[in-house]
Amino acid sequence: MDDQNLSTTRRRFLQTTGATGALAATATTVGLPLGDDTAQAQGAASGATKITKSICHQCPARCGIDVYTTNGRVHAIYGSPNHPIANGKLCPKGPLGIYVLYDPDRWKSPMKRTNPKKGRNEDPKFVPISWDEALQTVADRLNTLRDKGESHRFSLCFGRGWGASCAGLLGTFGDLYGSPNVPIGHSSMCSDGSILSKQCTDGNASYSAYDYRNCNYLLMFGASFLEAFRPYNNNMQVWGYIRGEKTPKTRVTAVDVHLNTTLAAADRGLLIKPGTDGALALAIAHVILTEGLWERSFVGDFKDGVNRFKAGQTVDPASFEEKWVKGLAEWWNIELKDRTPKWAEGITSIREHNILATAREFGSTRPAIALFERGAHAHSNGIMNGMAIHTLNALVGSLYAKGGLMYQMGPSYGAMPVDEKAYMDDYAQNGAWKKQPRIDLKGHVDGYLLAKNMLQEVGPNHLKGKPYKLDTVMFYLTNPIFTAPNGQQWEEALKDVFVIDTSPFPSETGHFADLILPDHTYLERLQDAPTYPFQGWPMAQLRVPAIKPLYDTKYFGDTLIEIGKRIKGKTGEYYKALGNTENVIRHLAKGFEKDPGDNGVNSFESWVEQGVWYKKPYLWQQIGGDFFEWDGKAYAKPMSADDVKAKLFKTPSGKFEIRSGYLEKNIDWVAEKTGRDKARLMFPVWEEPKHPGGGDLYLVSPKTAMHAEGRGANIPMAIAHQQPVVGGRKQVFVEINPVTAKARGISDGDVVKIKSAAGQIEVRCRLYEGTRPDTLVLPMEYGHWAGGRWSKNVFGGHCGHATVNQSDRVTGQCNYYTTKVTVERA
Amino acid sequence: MTKWGMVIDLEKCTGCQACTTACAMENNRLPGENWQDVLFYHEGTYPNVNLSWLPRPCMHCENPSCVAVCPTKATWKTEDGVVLVDWNKCIGCKYCMIACPYGVRFYMDEKATIEPDTRAAFPGDGTRSWNPPYRMPDAMEDPSKGIGIQPHGVVSKCTFCYHKISKAPKGVADLDEANPATREHTPACVRTCAPKARYFGDLDNPESRVSQLIADKGGVRLKEETGNKPQVYYLSGGGAPVVPGQRSNKKA
Ligand code: SF4
Ligand code: SF4
Repeated sequence: MDDQNLSTTRRRFLQTTGATGALAATATTVGLPLGDDTAQAQGAASGATKITKSICHQCPARCGIDVYTTNGRVHAIYGSPNHPIANGKLCPKGPLGIYVLYDPDRWKSPMKRTNPKKGRNEDPKFVPISWDEALQTVADRLNTLRDKGESHRFSLCFGRGWGASCAGLLGTFGDLYGSPNVPIGHSSMCSDGSILSKQCTDGNASYSAYDYRNCNYLLMFGASFLEAFRPYNNNMQVWGYIRGEKTPKTRVTAVDVHLNTTLAAADRGLLIKPGTDGALALAIAHVILTEGLWERSFVGDFKDGVNRFKAGQTVDPASFEEKWVKGLAEWWNIELKDRTPKWAEGITSIREHNILATAREFGSTRPAIALFERGAHAHSNGIMNGMAIHTLNALVGSLYAKGGLMYQMGPSYGAMPVDEKAYMDDYAQNGAWKKQPRIDLKGHVDGYLLAKNMLQEVGPNHLKGKPYKLDTVMFYLTNPIFTAPNGQQWEEALKDVFVIDTSPFPSETGHFADLILPDHTYLERLQDAPTYPFQGWPMAQLRVPAIKPLYDTKYFGDTLIEIGKRIKGKTGEYYKALGNTENVIRHLAKGFEKDPGDNGVNSFESWVEQGVWYKKPYLWQQIGGDFFEWDGKAYAKPMSADDVKAKLFKTPSGKFEIRSGYLEKNIDWVAEKTGRDKARLMFPVWEEPKHPGGGDLYLVSPKTAMHAEGRGANIPMAIAHQQPVVGGRKQVFVEINPVTAKARGISDGDVVKIKSAAGQIEVRCRLYEGTRPDTLVLPMEYGHWAGGRWSKNVFGGHCGHATVNQSDRVTGQCNYYTTKVTVERA
Repeated sequence: MTKWGMVIDLEKCTGCQACTTACAMENNRLPGENWQDVLFYHEGTYPNVNLSWLPRPCMHCENPSCVAVCPTKATWKTEDGVVLVDWNKCIGCKYCMIACPYGVRFYMDEKATIEPDTRAAFPGDGTRSWNPPYRMPDAMEDPSKGIGIQPHGVVSKCTFCYHKISKAPKGVADLDEANPATREHTPACVRTCAPKARYFGDLDNPESRVSQLIADKGGVRLKEETGNKPQVYYLSGGGAPVVPGQRSNKKA
């Protein structure tokens, strides 16, 4: 057994065995008078301690938190017991939020750069300025651009948007001011591959919501369910229930490229070759069909009930009567009939018998869920992989079923205080900006026609001046110089553009900023946030400030409104009428007056008090192949095919489309840009992924439990536990299989050089039998060269610097896990 | 008499370390000073590798070897079964750290695990060896029980969140975070653990959840051979322990 911990604690634990037997004499027991202070039995909640309802900010899950403040000091964060995601619990990041508030490296006021030269080694020479000067500087630039008819050269890029009072304001700003680049979201650098896979098959451009608690079989591709998949905290609550309490116990197969805690805790962990998850899904589908395990009530059946799916043999599509799927028999004929487990073993390296066993379990246990997230689809063939995996859900009838998957409903928000349509001046409606493409070429034939966003292209496109050069770029909750693949390009790109950062913290992007307009940290904000996909029924939570802002900072939503007020003409008038974010949030809450939540929240005040509004149940359910709407008491109101098409399967056919109508509509463009066969490209088919980089090993960069979206980078306590699975306590290690290491003369703990066409990094290695021999695993997080005192001080390069900027042409998904690299001793 | 104890169900534990961070924040620990930690192990050869982990607080032993060796009686056992350190008496000799079979004791003045030293970022004021702006309310601190920010030169360890549990309503069987009456008296790690792998209660009360779980699911204690008799039990899935426990061994 390997000792994976470097700390002396662990060594001592082993060494002292036996040595203490003699010491086990009588224990001294000292009486402790418990005293009569039970009157104050409420402990931490007593006296001057105030509990404020807020929401955690360290990942997208949005766990409700109880923030404990005593004498003006925030000293504890616990999960809110009344919050449906948190249920009183937290993940390891949750309690650390206090550090975020008291981080000594925070910006303490707006700052202006005084060194015009930009670069890693250039000191920006920031000097504090007033908010008035800062906001006016931005407004002057924007007004000048607009006057020149160049407002499209202003871009606002955002990452983790929360709700209507921050990211929700951005679209209107773009419409009124006049820029196609306000906003550009980060979804392509997140998990758009998943969103497009769902859109192409079931018509919902969204992440799925899941009913895990009623599910009996979970098949997980990538996603790191027990490390990083949102809502992480709730996933773990689910895990404790489905694995430790539920009858029958839910069985789990997890697929990844290294042995992480999810695979270790699962019944079966399959270590797959990167980028081949689609091949595994196809083989599972093949077995489900040949062995007759599909859900006939949902999928349909051969007219005579005789299963004709036989490996290698086509079927007559007319002999199969499809119910809620479209294109199954055609898919079988052109693809699936040859996708045997034996074939898949050759592609994925997973043994045939393991594929068969997985397929039989998944196909014969109901309800079952197949889930996937970045990993399975972060490759050039991502759309195919995603569609193949999602189709497994259709084959076992899990869509909208109890114990299956669905989509998230939005909250009953009230209308915005002001209607922006009344403030659209002529320029907003007909200005030259209307004819400009987006800087990232999202939605453009020369770029990514079907993508939702292409943030990873903003830096490179600006650098090339194609389609044009930006003049000013503002960032909200994103740090693309660091997080974009091949961030080195961004370091060049941001040199000749005016950069505004709004993070409360110094960062790499901030290091290139001309202006810093620091946000409050989350415990200081009043901010709304509808739920991320959870269990389908609507929910909206609220951050309530636990403490007055410690420094001269401003909530981003208000920063935007204040800039808006300084824009000339009707735009300025709109923002003056809008007022501030609190006004926005109060108007949102008016919606709850008409539609009170299950917890009684029916006003702004009660929302502040409870921190969350929600309303169960989810309104629709598929039961045995028929769809029903909730009638107030039960899922009893039958839905017509048209209802289903309007509300649930938003595809051209109103069914789950294995033959994707959405891809067919864009068939010429897809065929031209990908070289795919027009007869096949609308089906989930196998395609070898393209691995750029020029090396011989895959570089995969998952997230750890302490990472999520990287907002713990400067938290010493998070650094101390960053990658404990392989002993990474104060640094991250690149995991290398011992065989791979030995062949290159690398020993455990060596500093190694990882190289690709994008660049090279140095990082310390850990030999780990749980990692595939053809793969290096280096968690995302470290290698900060700017930021706070702790984040900068951690040894090791950043994986992004060795990651080639390649995207799935259909989904726009950034291919984070597909670059091939070489490794050698440094 | 109450005898507080903990049960950790390894079948449910996800190895997330939320117990560790919740403890660290509740008790103002330095990074690396893990009163509560999760230890990871792996064995085997690709592709047949076993990865496992073990959450590890202080065991609050019935026969604590640390108490026996302490020359100043600074380490002591409360009537309700909790092992504490009196910082007013501790001379920092570290005997207890050597005597503890479980490696759960920490000396304040070690080299910082994470640089730059957090203590330098938040320097101490007089008695407190460091002073983070988020430290627990002054009223909760109690150096005689090792609660709060310690002075220089002393040993510290998990207190089972004594500032919380000692204020619990008298006679309760379980300190359960799901029960509003006991939520604030539940140790931070137990309260936060998302998969509900941790339970806390009175081992002497036959009605307590911990007593029942130990019986039903075959609770085992670590290193029974030391005779320390931990008050922390582990469950590993089945109705009987995977490896037979030694609790029937009266000699210990
Ligand atoms: S799961 Fe996400 S939102 Fe919830 S506590 Fe953890 S980091 Fe915060
Ligand atoms: S918080 Fe719970 S699940 Fe997480 S490591 Fe600790 S005991 Fe295990």
